[in-house]
This record gives sequence, structure tokens and C-alpha cells, in this order.
Amino acid sequence: MKPASFDYYAARTLEEASRILADAGRDGRVLAGGQSLVPMLNFRIVNPAIVVDINRIDVLDRLEVGTDSLTVGALVRHADLLCNTHVREGWPLLAEATAQVAHPAIRNRGTVCGSVAHNDPAAEHPSVLVTLDGTVVICGPAGRRELKAEQFFTGMLSNALEPGEMVVELRYPRPPAGTGAAFVEFARRLGDFAIAGAAATLTMRDGRCERARLTIVGMGDGPFRARAAEDVLTGRRLGVNKDGREAFAEVAAHVVTAVEPTDDVHASSAYRRHLAGVMTVRALETALARAGGH
Amino acid sequence: MSDARFVNLRAVGTSVLPDEAIPLVEGEGRFLNDIRLPGMYHIAFLRSPHAHARLRAIDATKARELSGVVEVLTGKDLLGKVEPFRSMPNRFSGGESTQHWLAVDKVRFCGEAICAVVAEDRATAEDAVELIEVDYEPLPAVTDPRLGERDDAPLVHDTCPNNYLIKREYERGDVAGAFKAAHLTVKRQFRIGRKQALCLESRGCVAAYRESTFTLMLWMSHQLPYVVRHYVAEHLRLPENEVRVIAPHTGGGFGQKASIYPEEFVCAYLALRLRRPVKWVEDRLENMVASTHARDQFIDVELAVDRDGCITALSSDVWVDVGAYSTYLWSAGMEPLQTAGLMPGPYKVPALRYRTRGVATNKTPVGPYRAVGRPSASASLELLLDEVARRLEIDPAELRQRNLIPPEAMPYRNANNLVHDNVNYLPCLKLATAKADYARLRAEQRELLANGHLVNGKLRGIGISCYAELTGLGTTTAVGPGTLLQPGRDAVTLRLETSGVLTVAAALPSQGQRIITAMRQVAADELGIRLEDISCLTNDTATAPYGFGTFASRTAVFGSGAVIQAARELRHRILALGAFLLEVPAEDLTIVNSVVQTIDRSKTLPLREMTKKSYFSAKDIPPELNPGFEVTSFYDPKFGSFAGGAHIAVVDIDPQTGEVKIVRYVAAEDVGTVINPAVVEGQIIGGIAQGIGEALLEEILYDDAGQPRTVSLADYLVPSALEIPRIELYHANTPSGALGGFKGCGEGSIIGAVAAVACAVADALSRRGGDIHEFPATPERVLTGLGVLPAEA
Amino acid sequence: MAREQRISVTVNGKAYEKTVPVRLSLADFIREHLHLTGTHLGCEHGVCGACTIQMNGRSARSCLTLAVQADGADIVTIEGLRSADGTRHPMQQAFHEHFALQCGYCTPGMLITAIELLRNNPEPNEQEVREALSGNLCRCTGYQAIVDAVLAVARQQRPVEG
Repeated sequence: MKPASFDYYAARTLEEASRILADAGRDGRVLAGGQSLVPMLNFRIVNPAIVVDINRIDVLDRLEVGTDSLTVGALVRHADLLCNTHVREGWPLLAEATAQVAHPAIRNRGTVCGSVAHNDPAAEHPSVLVTLDGTVVICGPAGRRELKAEQFFTGMLSNALEPGEMVVELRYPRPPAGTGAAFVEFARRLGDFAIAGAAATLTMRDGRCERARLTIVGMGDGPFRARAAEDVLTGRRLGVNKDGREAFAEVAAHVVTAVEPTDDVHASSAYRRHLAGVMTVRALETALARAGGH
Repeated sequence: MSDARFVNLRAVGTSVLPDEAIPLVEGEGRFLNDIRLPGMYHIAFLRSPHAHARLRAIDATKARELSGVVEVLTGKDLLGKVEPFRSMPNRFSGGESTQHWLAVDKVRFCGEAICAVVAEDRATAEDAVELIEVDYEPLPAVTDPRLGERDDAPLVHDTCPNNYLIKREYERGDVAGAFKAAHLTVKRQFRIGRKQALCLESRGCVAAYRESTFTLMLWMSHQLPYVVRHYVAEHLRLPENEVRVIAPHTGGGFGQKASIYPEEFVCAYLALRLRRPVKWVEDRLENMVASTHARDQFIDVELAVDRDGCITALSSDVWVDVGAYSTYLWSAGMEPLQTAGLMPGPYKVPALRYRTRGVATNKTPVGPYRAVGRPSASASLELLLDEVARRLEIDPAELRQRNLIPPEAMPYRNANNLVHDNVNYLPCLKLATAKADYARLRAEQRELLANGHLVNGKLRGIGISCYAELTGLGTTTAVGPGTLLQPGRDAVTLRLETSGVLTVAAALPSQGQRIITAMRQVAADELGIRLEDISCLTNDTATAPYGFGTFASRTAVFGSGAVIQAARELRHRILALGAFLLEVPAEDLTIVNSVVQTIDRSKTLPLREMTKKSYFSAKDIPPELNPGFEVTSFYDPKFGSFAGGAHIAVVDIDPQTGEVKIVRYVAAEDVGTVINPAVVEGQIIGGIAQGIGEALLEEILYDDAGQPRTVSLADYLVPSALEIPRIELYHANTPSGALGGFKGCGEGSIIGAVAAVACAVADALSRRGGDIHEFPATPERVLTGLGVLPAEA
Repeated sequence: MAREQRISVTVNGKAYEKTVPVRLSLADFIREHLHLTGTHLGCEHGVCGACTIQMNGRSARSCLTLAVQADGADIVTIEGLRSADGTRHPMQQAFHEHFALQCGYCTPGMLITAIELLRNNPEPNEQEVREALSGNLCRCTGYQAIVDAVLAVARQQRPVEG
């Protein structure tokens, strides 16, 4: 399983990388962690003419915790997030999801931005970015631009990048006080791609849900933002008793109807649909319990 | 000869640390892909993307022109030069399948090899493969054995009507009468999915021309070096004594590396033709389609019992999807004949009937994999027994106790014509239930009734299985049922070297079973030679005498038995010469810690001094006392040695996701005389892990066009450390009738595990009136069994 | 733009300068160019873990890393676990004593992963050990002996209470 031939360039600056990628058009690929790209090269599923290695572009190796937001540069590895206490405390949803990405050796090399750009429907990071109202910062020959997470994900394994563009960083706003968050997923074995999962945040004040975010993982097209479900929850009285349970059952019913999962070798669409409901309830129950702690 | 046994530390029965593991733990193993020879070329194969197609034309021009490419070989190039594989003769053959090493006019499964590209490196060879243009005419594919046997089905082989590669009907005892008179009959249909051994190291071969004095030298990741040598010589029309086969360190075998495959033979042919060494390493994508698959059965089974729940008859109809070719060496008969024929297991079955078929389909051929048909067969019978237990309201362990062949009934001839003797089925069950505190487990499970059967929100299930495993088969029992291949005799050579150290040689290569260590231990005890003075050669036809190889749980029985036999003669020679040199009667002598000595130690002679005299001062010794210290002995245990055991699995099932977690696992085994307890424990736990994988995770899937859907390790899921619980292991050993009382232990535990876990899942579902008949018990199938998801059309 | 590149890499404490094809994996570089065949290839898509080495102090799949990405890196493989005087690493010794390997094919990756676990978590419980090793597949042992070996090393390395 050796890759087909390609040209390789280790860019030193963002300008270099952009220029080469732009010239290559659809025949160029960015190499950061390589944990998604290299298997595809080995399988010969992708055969780029040129691979642009961005690992030498120091400015991309940036993990910045700000008062209002977290900035994750293109060379930040999953493992870097996990060992950062500020990330764990300020963005617990991100930390919890990252811990479920594959296995340690993969997390040591794989990048958060790479996972987002790759947009595998069963991956954790795209859904977390949506749930946290994140922003994707893009650099290309036309300069710099930003997209909200939902605008960035355009379908299974697809994103809104134009030829020559690459993701340079992600921005995650700091969740407001009173927010409980949970990321749950169901996979056949720990670290496998999720069959279904849910990323949820509930911002609570005086027992009432001020703001809800819910994104479903694994439904085939990319992150599924369950807006109808969020609407059910917003303004609602929730408690870890009957109120919460009913609201969540209603939300789960919305989700199960709204998602359009696919069949594949690991699960049928019916099973995925069912699991989406189960994961929804579990994520919301956990998020609510954690909101209580604030 | 002295009766006094050895006063040095007894090696057999001790967990001697295996010196043979040291290179492996230090990263200095020599696996197939580690071998490098000067001028070596690399091979990649073009493989069929179609399940069934006529090959109209192959154009390899562009491939040949690629820089670094040496040669592209097609099936037509081999016609008339080599013998294709015709299915092995089998008494129960349906029709004959012929497998060309490289497809000639037809491809019959996705992944079948069509061309071999030889290049300077593997990457270039793969580049060239992509440049080969093939004109295919796709044909309809057979993908279901029950459809494939119909008269209107397309034929995979024109010589095999109804696509039968194997079929057999068998009846013993009054089956119809038993069913008529039965107090209760239960009938089920089970579907066991396709598996593969998934060795961490896939296959591979290095073939070299005129390496040392051999015309052809082969390194092969393989379990049976002598068998390979025989067939390579035959198919390439070479004298066998000009061929040498070596099995280097091998990363798992499990039966997958015990078949004869085309790729390695193509390598051998190319090495001879090009007069250069060639290497082929099977990558994982290839391995998923090119190495034999296993299981893949449809089992219709019916059980008749009396009012005590005792079996009066067992009847089954079995279809096995055996893939596109009758695998070379074992034939397509392995799974079908074993699944049906060995289903009775350790239970008294007075009347048995079965009809079994191996139906050819356009999929990867099915070959032997750890325990072959028995895990699926055992799971089916055990699930039926649990149903009997439910219907008759008898505890499942009690029901098994009533049905197991007890020691006092042995020797016991079962309806499948196997004679059970020297095996502790019942003591193992009693030990397992005692250690698991089985009564309390059931009591706890009953108490959950009030809570909707849930403990911590999970459904609790308990499964029990008992297994019989016939190991170390001698010449009276066929390894592959109906095959004319009779691997019942193996040789060991013992040789005292000039410096008094001992070499043991037997063609029983290890894939981690520590056969070298085991034979050293046996030899140490039999001869009184220190363990550190003994080395063992096992993997090379040039240095080991004939042995069939490592397969079918036979090495402990054969290796040890032959060592014991040879050691008797060698010891006799040592003591005879010792008597002469020490001037005492031989009866007064023994050997302790590599020293020949009188029992009272008044006279001693280190072996190294004896051998020095024997080799270098022979003129001082009467010739009749110096026949040489090399003894080769063939050993045939004649019969097989039954191993047995009882496994208990406790599972918790999440009724919302269908996830199955094994929360407790107890196994009680009878593996005969144990040579190295830690090695045995490793074999048993390893087998249980594979069984858990079979029961819950592993499945190879194809679509209706015969395209494989599980193509990588992201699709085919083997258990990780999180899926395997801590195994509580106990022993109720009793010696076999073989020399030394040894038994094999490589395959029994996988049988027990598949059945125990399957039963545990079914038991949990039955608490809610649910059921499962298709395995692996994926979460989706579990939810379908619970009625949470609708059953598929 | 290149199809070949010169790289400088330190492996097991020794510095190398080699010209490599850009599509060559780090695994193949270590095995074929440096002749350190202790690192094994089981899948070439990052799942089995047999190829796991240490790169700049962290475990990594050498099958998913291009050799050219290791330019300037510090690599440790199974062959580098021994100390200078040839003594086995305690984890290697424990694997041997606990029969934590059978065919030995997964062992190189298991050792690297286990060593990293104890560095990050010196007193793991059994569940944590199993979780850390869950990305290294073994088909022979059923994992129990491996887990026992890792727990034994953790116990050995526990600081002695005063």
C-alpha cells in the first residue's frame, strides 16, 4: 500500500503554501498531521500531484486562550488541547470530544484544523465547532476570510475552501457562565469513528434554559445542527427531574425525525437514526447536570 | 536402565521463561519482510475488481515500459509450465475446482490475482499494476450459498453442478424415531458471519535461486514448511531435495497460513525464471481479499430431548459459503464437514443426522481458521440447549451436566463416530460453576426481575458452554475430514553435539506458541540435561526432520511424544557409553544436570567429556558402544487426544444502544499434562479473545454483486484490550493417552468463547422475550432481537 | 518541488543523513534505509499500531508519517529502548517475564505506547492501561499478560514510601 508518486514541498511561510496550493488547484493537498491524508495516499484513494507540508510554518503552531475566545492554529495537535488545563476548564465540550478522537499516537500528530477541514461525518471536531458557534479562519491567494462553522461544512468530506485556500485557525467563543456541555458518542470500539454522537450545550439561568445548542454526529452529510430541537429547549424550564426528561424525549423525537443518516458497513440508517435519539438524550442529560454545577 | 528419575528441577510443568522470545522483545526478530537479499526484486499483484468475469484481454505494455519494472507475468505465461491447483481429493467432493495461479480465462472472486509485476521496489510495482489494462466481461455473481445450489444459479465452476464443492449426508442411530418419541423438540436457524484470522503479520514470501546449495530457497510466513516444500517441488517439477523452505519469525498463523496459495508459488516460479531473489509481502488491503476467510455458515438445527432434557437426537442442515475455490491442501470440506460432523461436541448424542454442503460462491475461498467449524457448531447447539432449558425450566448448567459425557462412561463412542476418552468435561463444568459462584449469579439475575431485569440500566445475561477439542491427531483420524492427506506422523531428531549440548530438531515452527521452549523442557526432563544446554531447531526443512507442521493443536502431542521416544534411545546410548567409560553397570547410572553419574554420585562424567571422547577419540571406544549420538524417531499417537473445557460469560447489554459488555468471564479447562503453564494460559486467553471477537465484532461483508464491503481494519473489527475482560482461568487437567499425557490447547478456548458469549447475549435478550440468531451479535442485531429496531426484510 | 529530499534525522541517538523518495513512509525509511526492522507494518493505515514509534518524545504511527516529515526529528524505536550497556528497558523485561508477547509482531508498538502511558500516568489502574493500549491490536495474547506487565512496571517504579 505505497502511495502513488507526488511532488512534495515543505512550506516555510503561509504565503508560500498559499501560492503553491493555488497553482496546484484541485491537484494539491495540505499535509499537517497526515492522520487522514496519509491513509488515503496509502490506499491510493487520493493521488495529488503535489503535497504541501505546512509543519514548518511556525505561525500556525498557535494555541491561544483569550478572555473571550480560544484560538487553535492549524498545527495544534489533538494532544495539545488535551494537556491544556485552560482548554479543559473553559471549553470542556472541546476537551471531552478530543479525548475520544482515535488513540494517543493519532492524537499526537493529528490536528484539530485538519479534522475540521477533512469533515468526516463521523468525526468529533466538526460537530463541536458547530455547537460552540466556532469560526473557521481561511487563508488563500485572495487573502484572509472567515466563515461560521455551519457555512464551512458543505457536505460529507466537503468544505467551502476554494482551490488554493487552507484553514489557518479556528476560533471558539468562550461559553457563557451557567453552561453545561457534553459530548457523547457511540462507536463499536473506543476510538473508532462514531456511529452516532451528540454535542450539546445548555446555558441555564434559574432553572430555565437560556440557550441550547445541539449537533448530531455521524448522520452522513457532516455535522447536523438540530435547530428545531434547540428551539424546543430554549426558554423551557429544565431540571434533573420530570421536566428535563420530557423535554429531552421531545427533543429526541425531533432529532430522530429530522436526521437523514446513511447506511454503511457499520450501521444501517435505521440504527443510526435510533442512536441519534439515544445520544441526544444522554448528551442533554449530562449537559444539564453539569450546568447545575455552575 | 536406571529407574531413578531426575533430581534436577523438573522443567515440564514450570513456566520456564522462553529464551526464544528475547529477540522479539528486543526488536531483533526476523520476520519475512525483514529479509533482504542482494539483487532482490519486489512483486505486486494486479487483482480482480470483479467478483465474476471473463478475462478477454490483458495489455501490460505500459506497465512493462515503466522504469524500474522487470517483468509482468500473466496466467497465460504459466500455462503448460506449472501445474494449477486442482482441488484436493476428498471422499465427499461435489465437483473439482481448478485454480490457476494467475487467472487465465476467468476471475472468480474480487481480489483474485491476475498479473504479477516484478520491479525494483514495491512502490514501482504498484505503480505498474495501475498501468495494466484488462478487458473484462462481467458475469453474474453467486453470493448466497442457498441460492447458489439451485439449478438456475450461475456456475462458478462448470465442473461443479449446483456449485457443490463438497457435500455429505450422514446418519447414525434412529433419528426419525427419536424425534417422533421426543418429549420436546426445538428447532432454529442460525447465521454465522464470515471471518478471517487477521494475523498481525500478513502473508509473504522471499524466493531465491541457487541460495547455498539449493536450487530454490523459500522463506515463507507459513505454518507447514515441509508441506510447502512437497507441493512447490511437485508443481514446479523440481526434485524435492533441491528445495529448501524456511519459516522465519511468523506474526500469527491460526490456520490462515496453513493453506497453499498461488502467490507464493508465483514467487518461486519467478525466482527460478529470473534467477534473482524476489520478495512479495501481502499488504493489508490484499490480505482482506487474498487470504482465506472462515466460518460463513447457515445452520438449520433441530434437537430432540427426553423429559429430563437429555439429548436423544441431533439433526442439522448446513450450508457453508466456501468461496470461489476449494482451498488447496484442505479442500472446501473443512468448514462444512466439521460444522456438521463435530456438532455433538462433549455431549452424549445417541442419534445424529446431517446434510452439509460447501457451496462455491464468487468470494474469497474459505480455509482453516482456529477450530474451523466447531465454534459455529458449538454456538448453535449451546443456544438450542438454552432454549430447552427455558422450555423445560431446567437450569442451563444442570441441563449440560445431564448431557455431558461423564468420565465414568468413557471410552464413549458418540454418534459422529468419535471416541471420547481421558477428558474431564464434567469436572470442568463443575469447576467453572463453582469458581464463578454460578448459583449466586443466577440468583442475582432472578432478583433483577423486579427491576425490569436491569442492573445499572443494563440487561444481564449469563452464558455457559462446554467444548470438546480433538487434538494431536494420529494416523487413524483425519485432520481434514474426507481428505486423503494423513498428517499423523512427525519426526524429532535429538543430537548431542561435540561439546555435549543437545540439539532438538522438529519441523514445528512457532507463531508464538513457544514450541521451542516446550520441546526443550520435555527433552530436559527426559534426558537430565540442563535446559540451558538444549537448543531447538524448528523452522527449516534443511535442519529439521520431516514434520507436518504447526496446525490443528498438534505440536505439544507430536513434538513431546517424539522427543520422549527419541530420548529413550538416546538415553540408552548415553548410559551404555557412560557405563563403559565409568566402568560401572548401566543400571547404576543416571543423568543429572548434564552429568552422567552413579546414583550415589561416587562416579561422574560430564556429558561434554563423554561427547568429546565419542567424537574425537572414537578409536578408544568399542564401535558397538559408539553408534553416534543422533537419534531420529517418528511418532504417531494413533488416535487423537480430547481436550475440553467449560466457559461462563456474564454480559451486560445496553438496551438503548445494543452494546454488549462482558463483565465476567470464567474458564475451566482440561489441557492434559501441561508443559509450560504460562504459555498454555496465553494460548487459552488468546483463543478466548478471538472467540469474543467472533461473537461480537468481526464480520466480513459482501454486497449482492460480490464486492467486499469490509476492506480495511477500519471495517473489520478485531477486539482491542478494552473488549476483552480479565479472564479467570482454572484447570481440571487429566492426561491424554498419548505419550507423556499431553494435549493440544490452541483451539479449544475459541470454541468455548464463541458459544458462551452467544449464549450470554441470547440469555439477556430472553429476559425481555427477545431472541438472536445471527452472529456476530452486533449492537444493531441486539436491538433487532429486542424489538427496538424492526427486523430487516 | 521534489520527488526526493535529503533529510537529517536522529534515530535511537544516532544521526543520519539520507536522501529519500518523498512518498516513502517513516516506517519504510527506518526499516529499509536504516535496517532497523524492529518496527513492524501491520496495516499501513494507522489502525493496528504495530508501527508506533516515538517522534520528538511522543508516540506516533510511523506508517502515517512521511520520512521527509521526520527531517530534524528525534526518533526512538524498539531497538533504542535498551540502555547504553545493553540492559533491557524495564518494560521489555516485564513483557518477557509476564509472557506478554507470543508472535511478537505487535510488541514494538505495544512497548512504545506502554512506556508513554507510564510517563504520563505513573499509577494507572487496569482500565486506564487497557484504554491506553486500545490503539495497539494484538491477535495472540488476549491482552491480559500485556496489562499485567504494564501494571508490574508501574508498581516497580512507584517511589518507595519513606
